[in-house]
Amino acid sequence: MNCYQAKTGELAKHWYVIDATGLVVGRLAAQIAPILMGKHRPTYTPHVDTGDYVIVTNVDKVVFTGEKWRQKTYQRYSGYPGGQREEAAWKLFQRRPERILELAIERMMPKSKLGRHMMDKLKLFVGPDHPHQAQQPIVLEAYSGRPAAAGIQLPPLPKGLLAHAAAVAGATAAESEADA
Amino acid sequence: MRATKGAARNRKKKRIFHAAKGFVGGRRRLLKSAKETLLRAGVYAFRDRRAKKRAFRRLFITRLTAAAEMRGLRYSRLVHGLKLAKVGLDRKSLSELAIYDPKVFDQVVALVQTELAKHDAAVLARQKAKSA
Repeated sequence: MNCYQAKTGELAKHWYVIDATGLVVGRLAAQIAPILMGKHRPTYTPHVDTGDYVIVTNVDKVVFTGEKWRQKTYQRYSGYPGGQREEAAWKLFQRRPERILELAIERMMPKSKLGRHMMDKLKLFVGPDHPHQAQQPIVLEAYSGRPAAAGIQLPPLPKGLLAHAAAVAGATAAESEADA
Repeated sequence: MRATKGAARNRKKKRIFHAAKGFVGGRRRLLKSAKETLLRAGVYAFRDRRAKKRAFRRLFITRLTAAAEMRGLRYSRLVHGLKLAKVGLDRKSLSELAIYDPKVFDQVVALVQTELAKHDAAVLARQKAKSA
C-alpha cells in the first residue's frame, strides 16, 4: 500500500518541558507517553521513532489520588525462587523519587526494543532545573483526559521535510480556540 | 522400457530448495522440512495480504486521531462530522492530506465543525422540545 512512512531521522525532533508539580502521575504519564511515541502527530509510523523529547522537572512533586502512596505497591522478580520483591510507593519514592513517574510512563510504552529506545527521549529531573536550555524546549500545559475535550494546546508540527506545516499550526490554534 | 524418475525428482527438489533459500537450519536443507515450511509460508502470505489492509486502516485511524486532536476534535467526532458533511474521502486520503497538505485538512475540519455545530444545535433543540 502506498502511503506516508517516516524515515529514521527525517522529521525534526522537538523538545517539550513540563513542570510536574502537583500533577497526578497516571494522567501526566498518559499525556507524555504518546508524545514519546510520536502518536501526537499525523506522521506517526509504527516502526520508526517519530516522537519528541520530553523534559519533566519537579518529578519529585507528583501526586497520587486516594491512598496510593501507602497502598500502591511495585513488584519485581529477581529470577530466583522466592525472589519476588514488593515495595510500597512511598518507599520507592524515598529511594528514587523520579522512578514513580518513569515506571508509569514505561508501562504505557510499547514493550519492544523501539519502545525502550523511545524512553531515552524522556528526561526526568528532581527539582525545577534541567540542563537542556540549549534545546529551547516548548512549555507544555498539563491536561487530563482526551486532549480535545480539554481544549488542547497545539504542539507545533515537525519542521524539516514538512516545513510548510509549521506555519499552519498557529492558524489552527486560533481556530480551535474560537470553537471552544 | 522402465520409466525412471531421477531427472524429474532432481528438478523438483531444486525448485523447492531454491524457494527455501534464507530459511533457518534444516528448513532450507532437508526436503521434508523445506516443503512444510514453504507450504506454511504460503498460508501466512495469503492470510497477511488480507490482514495488511486492516493493519493499514488502523494506522490511518491513529494518524487521523492525532490530526483531529491537534485541531481540538476527537476522532469519533471527526468521522461523524465527515458523514454529516458528506465528505466522501476515505481514511487513507484524509491522513495523507493531514501530512502533506495540512491547510486543506484544516478546511476539511472547518467544514466538519460547522456541520457538527448544526447537528449539535438540532439535537439540543429536539431534547428541549421533548422535555418541555
